[in-house]
Amino acid sequence: MAITDQAPPAAAVRDPEQAERLRYRLYSLAIVAVILAAWEIAPRAGLVSPIILPAFSQVAAALWSLVQTDFFLRHFSVTLTEILVGFVLGTAIGLMLGIALAVWPTAKRIAYPFVVGFQAIPKIVFAPLFIAWFGFGQSSKVVMAVVISFFPVLINTMVGLESVPDDARKLMRSLKATPMQTFRKVSLPHALPVIFAGVKAALTFAVIGAIVGEFVGASEGLGYLVELYNHQLRIDRVFAVVVVLAFIGAGGYFLLEWLDRKLIFWRSDDNR
Amino acid sequence: MIMAAPVPREDRGASPRPAGLGAPIVTAKGLSKTFKLGGGDVVALRDVDLEIRKGEFIAFVGPSGCGKSTFLNMVAGLLPATGGVAHVNGQPVTEPSRQVGFMFQTPVLLPWRTVEKNVLMPAEVFGLKQADIRDKARAVIEAVGLGAFVDAYPRQLSGGMQQRVALARVLTYEPDVLLMDEPFGALDEFTREAMNLELMRITQAAGITVLFVTHNITEAVFMSDRVVVMTPRPGKVSGIVDIDLERPRTIGTMQKQSFSDLIFKVRGILGNTHGDH
Repeated sequence: MAITDQAPPAAAVRDPEQAERLRYRLYSLAIVAVILAAWEIAPRAGLVSPIILPAFSQVAAALWSLVQTDFFLRHFSVTLTEILVGFVLGTAIGLMLGIALAVWPTAKRIAYPFVVGFQAIPKIVFAPLFIAWFGFGQSSKVVMAVVISFFPVLINTMVGLESVPDDARKLMRSLKATPMQTFRKVSLPHALPVIFAGVKAALTFAVIGAIVGEFVGASEGLGYLVELYNHQLRIDRVFAVVVVLAFIGAGGYFLLEWLDRKLIFWRSDDNR
Repeated sequence: MIMAAPVPREDRGASPRPAGLGAPIVTAKGLSKTFKLGGGDVVALRDVDLEIRKGEFIAFVGPSGCGKSTFLNMVAGLLPATGGVAHVNGQPVTEPSRQVGFMFQTPVLLPWRTVEKNVLMPAEVFGLKQADIRDKARAVIEAVGLGAFVDAYPRQLSGGMQQRVALARVLTYEPDVLLMDEPFGALDEFTREAMNLELMRITQAAGITVLFVTHNITEAVFMSDRVVVMTPRPGKVSGIVDIDLERPRTIGTMQKQSFSDLIFKVRGILGNTHGDH
């Protein structure tokens, strides 16, 4: 009997696809070039005061001199540690709570209203409290990062685990699978793409948490540096630190994106 | 439950289906199901008595709400009966069993597993050694015509091919009874016809008893030894039609006068109790 393979012939599709991707990459680069040019020209032409917006080249120079100093490296590693520890703890807590609420209906019924209520609070208001509770050091920033980053992981884990198709559950029941087997073989892998979306959001939130914590009260870290240089009106350095923070966020995001593709290889191409 | 090593199929006989000659394998006595719905009771299935013999191919036809899927779920042990009892292999059904395989309208494949890994999934759940069942899995994948696709992922396959994987998955653990709930309902007409022929060939060769739920009267008559006609409100068996068309059946079978007579007979039972003919 004839079998029809409806998978698209890969080689035929690749080339136009690749050409298109290249074209859009060029568009992106063009936009970046225009923005950088405007950034360079506007302060030099006197359209904006260099105190408000230093020229791009000045920022680049400030960044270059900054990254070569030891004290910058110290502040950088302080903030990076806060972000990473906060992100990992927040993700772990979100994952565990999400699993607990998804597999244990009683827990969900009891705890879910509190979870939603907690999420309704703008958690940044806790920052001064955390400083009071956990001190000026790194721990208060880590706690801040955890508190705002665990939630997207929790929600996505719960939603992902609960979206397992009924037929898949029924199949496992018809095989007399244990709840653990169903969880490991079906539910968790099924939920993984959704969980990962939450993890990516958690990273962004962890960066915000650490920086906000430093704004409110710190003696080191990149957020502290931003505050310090802002007071000193060294705006070129403020921008330089912002660029560094952008690189941290983007770097982490792309790393997770890469991991996502490796881990969730079965996702269809058009979702990427 | 003790897991025996997979038994070769040969002992079950590859002879043509001995219609009506095997021992009873699935029986229902007064099988009923009542759902509670907003304080009221909805009778999904009322007093079904049925005896299905080993190796038989039984189709269940009827409009939505006639209880055919409910019946299947109760035989599978996925839904408790509220009255009466179902037996499989002489044992009263209280929970799912490895002797009974279930196939759904959707293939329910795990997209992160290859065809072969999907087919081996039940064996993992049963705690069987992969090495013991791997050859069997390969043979079944070959038999459903997917020999070249063992390492393919579900998204690389068409809908019909995915349903073949689902069929291979259930056949690999060698159930005595195969329950199919509109398994090819989502496929196009041509693919469905091909799948039906394939299903008949494979289950007949393996001597598997099939309970096949469908909306499609032609399909039901074409494949089965008996057609159980069911009607809704409340869901019950209105009649059973013996299909004495000779096997093996081919597309040519459909051109016979006896074939269309049988279709009209089934239609008649549906119509009489339905009141819209």
